Amino acid sequence: MARMKFICDAERCIECNGCVTACKNEHDVPWGVNRRRVVTLNDGIVGAERSISVACMHCSDAPCKAVCPVNCFYTTDDGVVLHDKDLCIGCGYCFYACPFGAPQFPQAGAFGLRGKMDKCTFCAGGPEKDNTKGEIEKYGRNRLAEGKLPACAEMCSTKALLAGDGDVLSDIYRERVMRRGRGGDLWGHATAYGVKAATSQQPAPTQQKS
Amino acid sequence: MLKAKIFCAISAVLLVSACGEKPQTVSVKPGQSAAKPDDKPYQNDQFKGNKVEWEKTLRARADNQNEYKRVN
Repeated sequence: MARMKFICDAERCIECNGCVTACKNEHDVPWGVNRRRVVTLNDGIVGAERSISVACMHCSDAPCKAVCPVNCFYTTDDGVVLHDKDLCIGCGYCFYACPFGAPQFPQAGAFGLRGKMDKCTFCAGGPEKDNTKGEIEKYGRNRLAEGKLPACAEMCSTKALLAGDGDVLSDIYRERVMRRGRGGDLWGHATAYGVKAATSQQPAPTQQKS
Repeated sequence: MLKAKIFCAISAVLLVSACGEKPQTVSVKPGQSAAKPDDKPYQNDQFKGNKVEWEKTLRARADNQNEYKRVN
């Protein structure tokens, strides 16, 4: 098994928010916490509008894990980044470290008191016995233990959001790009990481005959 | 006199009770997670510890996301 990953194909995302709703429903996520959200850039500009579904990206070298003062994060054998809510002190360091804004904090009481961190678990629960009351209440349902993929990706109507073993996702995406003949680069990568898109994606300049 | 002694003894116990403070710091070892050990996703009644079967199930599920492989 390689590593569990999400990818979102911006050529297909129609901003329906089905993934957001599926996640909220599957895990009974409290009001004010969004483990997944859809971000739209160039909203309303014809031809330039793109939407992308964003949640925890389960980074291989997770910055949240690096900054946590109580070391409550751990990475499973399948590359899913999870945390122990019994240890979390709700300090918010992970929120500042995460480039995707994945860590969420429920309002735990009066005066904006911050609760323990909550984030996408790749539908893999947490450090409790699988699909017990304790796990479901703290982390949500454990679909991976049931042999299922995250609800957001399985619910996606256009299959813009894909989840699963990185190798399988690469194969699916490669075939998709070959068939449609464009969109080889995952849109947003250049925006997020400040690198130029591959030149192969740009239209070839026309040759001037002299 | 006896009452006074008992009162003093109880007071003394109560006064020093705050001295037994427990450590409030979490022992953090860099690079090591302090989280509780988690079960493997295949260690349950459905897969009975069979990792290969679990991986096969997930792979089939992931392949289902490819609509080009479906009968259209």
